[in-house]
Amino acid sequence: MAGRRRKRLDLTTPGLLGLPLAWLVAFFLVPIGIVGAYSIDVFSIYPAKHPVTLAGWDDFVHSTVYLKLFWKSVRMSLVVSVLVVLLAYPVAYYLALSGTKRKYILLLILIAPFLTSYLLRVLAWKVILGSNGVVNSFLYWLGIRAHDDPVSQLLYSRFAVMLVLVYVWLPFVALPIFVSLESLDRSLLEAATDLYASRWQAFRRVTLPLSMPGVIAAFLFVFIPTVGEFVTPSLVGGTSGYMYGNQISDLFGTGFPDWRTGSVLALFLLAVVAVLTGVFARFLGMRQAGAR
Amino acid sequence: MSEGEELFERRVSREDFLKLTAAAGAAGVIAGRAGAADAALARLAKESGRLQVMDWAGYEVKSLWAPYLKKYPGEKPKFTFMTNEANAFAKLRAGFKPDVFRPYVGYVRDFAESGFVQPWDPKLITILKNLNPIMVKAGQYNGKQYGIPNDWGFDAILYRTDKVHPTAKSWSLLFDKRYSGKIAWYDDLNQLVWAGYYLGFKQPYNQTDDELKRSQKLLISKKKMVRMFWSSETDMQNAFASGDLWIAYAWPADWVAMKAKGLKVAYMHPREGPLSWIGMLMLGKGTPRPQHAHAYADAWSSVQSSSWLENNYGYGAANTKARPTSSDLLKVLKLTDPNAVREPKAHIDRYMPRRAVYARLWQEVKAS
Repeated sequence: MAGRRRKRLDLTTPGLLGLPLAWLVAFFLVPIGIVGAYSIDVFSIYPAKHPVTLAGWDDFVHSTVYLKLFWKSVRMSLVVSVLVVLLAYPVAYYLALSGTKRKYILLLILIAPFLTSYLLRVLAWKVILGSNGVVNSFLYWLGIRAHDDPVSQLLYSRFAVMLVLVYVWLPFVALPIFVSLESLDRSLLEAATDLYASRWQAFRRVTLPLSMPGVIAAFLFVFIPTVGEFVTPSLVGGTSGYMYGNQISDLFGTGFPDWRTGSVLALFLLAVVAVLTGVFARFLGMRQAGAR
Repeated sequence: MSEGEELFERRVSREDFLKLTAAAGAAGVIAGRAGAADAALARLAKESGRLQVMDWAGYEVKSLWAPYLKKYPGEKPKFTFMTNEANAFAKLRAGFKPDVFRPYVGYVRDFAESGFVQPWDPKLITILKNLNPIMVKAGQYNGKQYGIPNDWGFDAILYRTDKVHPTAKSWSLLFDKRYSGKIAWYDDLNQLVWAGYYLGFKQPYNQTDDELKRSQKLLISKKKMVRMFWSSETDMQNAFASGDLWIAYAWPADWVAMKAKGLKVAYMHPREGPLSWIGMLMLGKGTPRPQHAHAYADAWSSVQSSSWLENNYGYGAANTKARPTSSDLLKVLKLTDPNAVREPKAHIDRYMPRRAVYARLWQEVKAS
């Protein structure tokens, strides 16, 4: 009897893990392997025979163009991620700690934009930022700008990409911060008050450190997708808002495709994101261990 | 055996023959009528299934192939869209088998050598004699007619006449610093080609490494004046119409569209020569519907379809008998001059042996 039970237990774990693992292998690891194969010409979209080569990687490492573009995207993503976290934190703080009874209704309102299409939300900014858009029309009306002299940097610019990305990700980022603040042990705040800590000191020494896992998770939620972003820049970015993700997309899809270089760029991005995630995860683990 | 007979022979395969035998036998037993076998033969001799067409968005409009539907009532083609030649190539590689698709003239040789296409039977294209012979020749490779020319046009410069005052009829308008931030280039490797013509190179479609570097350097140095690289014509037109752009690398259709919106626009042919292009209908290899495919190409070449194309899209049509109703359009497209599309008046798009190098350098321009 005991033997039969043990046998059933042995099958339960692989049974439960099997499907997600198979999914992971089939739709994550295998595609990455295929992309890796394209990066060294094991596979090629052109019918002629190609020898296996590391030329794609060699070109990438020695090309300042691609690395410069990558760092430009990293800088843009960092600015967006920091701004989004800074803007989302007070919102999440209010919702979680103000004691308002309507916090879940407010939370629903906050995430309401998700009910509409991503593309629609991005395209709406074209109407707002264009030469004849809402902002410029308002400036014409005020007499600050002439009709012939709109603020052209509002649209098809790096600024437009970062503005739209901040707008798009703000509600999404408020959620993990809200969850970490919501689960905060309030007695710690009471203890801080009992020990004559000011509200600022209590925030700095108690609330903020304990909400850091949520903050870092929120930061990563924005940084990882935006560093490889290509939809928003292609719609509102123009030439100056062109990002690393656009380059990958172009290498695979437009003009005369170069899947080898595209694969190299994609794998490099994946590697950087994986390393960054690992570093942050380790940092969080160390903090949590320290807290214990 | 003629090519037409060959096509018929291929069409009646072993499977068809067995079906025919079964159908004829069954008809004989059940109906007992002598004509049933003939009817079955006629039915099987007809090509089955809808014609599969892979084309650019906007070219599925019925007015462009209406004569086909007249010939085959109720047999509307099934359309799949291609966004460019690379996209078409990727679809073919993935196993998609259209009966007909449309790359542009610069890719005729690439596709002819790819093994995905077969030559047309010129005898089955009744309107071929009315097509511009220069364009017909451009569709040939190794003496065979791989491409049937249809739409054609120029790559030149569209600009607002009320805002822009060119100092010269030149490609340099695309980087005139007086209009910095109001200029759009096309997101395509042929930007290196116009740069080559501007720099006075002998073979801008086949530049040397040194020439390509100089063309790339020019584009990178002028890129800061460019607001956008457009890949969607609609995006560019919207930006132009809203005043975000005053100058754009554009096609004649864009001039038509902007005029229709009431903008004061001109379409400049630069003195270095505009680039020109011709859409080429190509026939999928081993198509099971060759008669339909030829009829479709014929329909596209008809005067009726060609005139509709000119009037509504502002592109030229290879059929020299077709004329747009607008004299402005006639002038911009230079339709009265059959040589307008080729040297020395325009630089017709062509096979580029170093296309991959051009593509890489153009990607670097965008990334820089």
